[in-house]
Amino acid sequence: MKKCNFEKHIDNYLLNRLSEEKKEMFENHYFNCSNCFKKLEDRNALISVIKSRGNEIFMDQKRESQEAQTRSSIFERLFSFSFFTPKQWTMATISACALLIVVFGIAPVLNLKSPIPQFVMDSQSVRGDSLALIFPVNNTQTIPSEFRWDNLGEGVEYKIYIYKDNLLWSAPTTQTSISLPENIKDLLKTGENYSWEVKAFSQEGSLIAASSKVPFQIDSHQ
Amino acid sequence: MRLQTNGSLVSPHPNLYNEKAVRKQDPTLNIDEIVAKYRPIISFKVKKSIGAHTPEWEDVANEVLLNVIEKLEKSEFRGESSIGTFIYTITSRRIIDYIRRKSKVLKHAPEPNPFSTPQQDVEEEERAEHMASLLEQLKPKYKEVLYLYYYKDLSRDEVSQHLNISPRRVSERVNYAQKLLRKMVIK
Repeated sequence: MKKCNFEKHIDNYLLNRLSEEKKEMFENHYFNCSNCFKKLEDRNALISVIKSRGNEIFMDQKRESQEAQTRSSIFERLFSFSFFTPKQWTMATISACALLIVVFGIAPVLNLKSPIPQFVMDSQSVRGDSLALIFPVNNTQTIPSEFRWDNLGEGVEYKIYIYKDNLLWSAPTTQTSISLPENIKDLLKTGENYSWEVKAFSQEGSLIAASSKVPFQIDSHQ
Repeated sequence: MRLQTNGSLVSPHPNLYNEKAVRKQDPTLNIDEIVAKYRPIISFKVKKSIGAHTPEWEDVANEVLLNVIEKLEKSEFRGESSIGTFIYTITSRRIIDYIRRKSKVLKHAPEPNPFSTPQQDVEEEERAEHMASLLEQLKPKYKEVLYLYYYKDLSRDEVSQHLNISPRRVSERVNYAQKLLRKMVIK
């Protein structure tokens, strides 16, 4: 059967999508073209059935379309809470994955270690004024008999703390230095690591300054 | 002129119409053949225009046919246009008359449904039932196109975007689905 140029209008005519002028032209045509009229009838029968019984015929398609709509609305809702577009979300996800690969994949292979925390050797205040420790602040050849720190002025009470793993000794003083009692001196061993800190209190007993916790080691070749 | 029980129209004076002009257009047609050939076309146009659910569509189609025969008998068809165009003009005018007459009675009449409802008669209902069962047997890719294009009323471009295929492919799938259905009906 030879294809007629007007055949392309069949669907649009049946679906009322033709302009009035084209509609009249097409109607006039199918009054004169039995081939087009036959095809028009066939297509009309098909569309009529689809329109009237589509609910039963397209149950699968409707379900799929509803599922797709639900999926897309979940995504839309998800993205509507953010300033990110889906593309930006994708980029962010890729970046996060790359970072995880570097941290957990490459770092162990290169045997990269996290930096060992270094104590600040001068003062580091916890709150209020800073308090600098003077001696000992590093390795020492002998067991220190005296610990010294900065003066914060009159009427300040200091409290020294010496640690090994736990607190070893603590004592208050109004001076800016303190001598270790013999029994504590005996506890300090060469080659061991210790640390100390001093806190300053006002006359009312409130903390006004604190030093950082400074490590020291008594060298073994004493 | 009278209407036969089988619905066809018979002219009491079959030889009075301008046979020469009609034969010039289509040498095989006499008045009965004109009625036989154009009845379905006129009916289709009438149903499309005033709605297949409108009970008067058959009366309007019969009036058109009577009018056509009358004009042929009065030799009003002189072969200046095709017989198809001549009948189309009469059909259009008659439909306009009907709508005008009807709108005087029902000013706010609802829009006619352009598609016939398959419940109109048993035969049509059976045919629709059969067609629906055939449609269900189509492959999903054809059903999907028919669903979006006809049921969801999307344009060809919208369907093509939805399915990620070219608009041309959409038309091809619709036409192929129709072809498959025709083959299934013949089987």
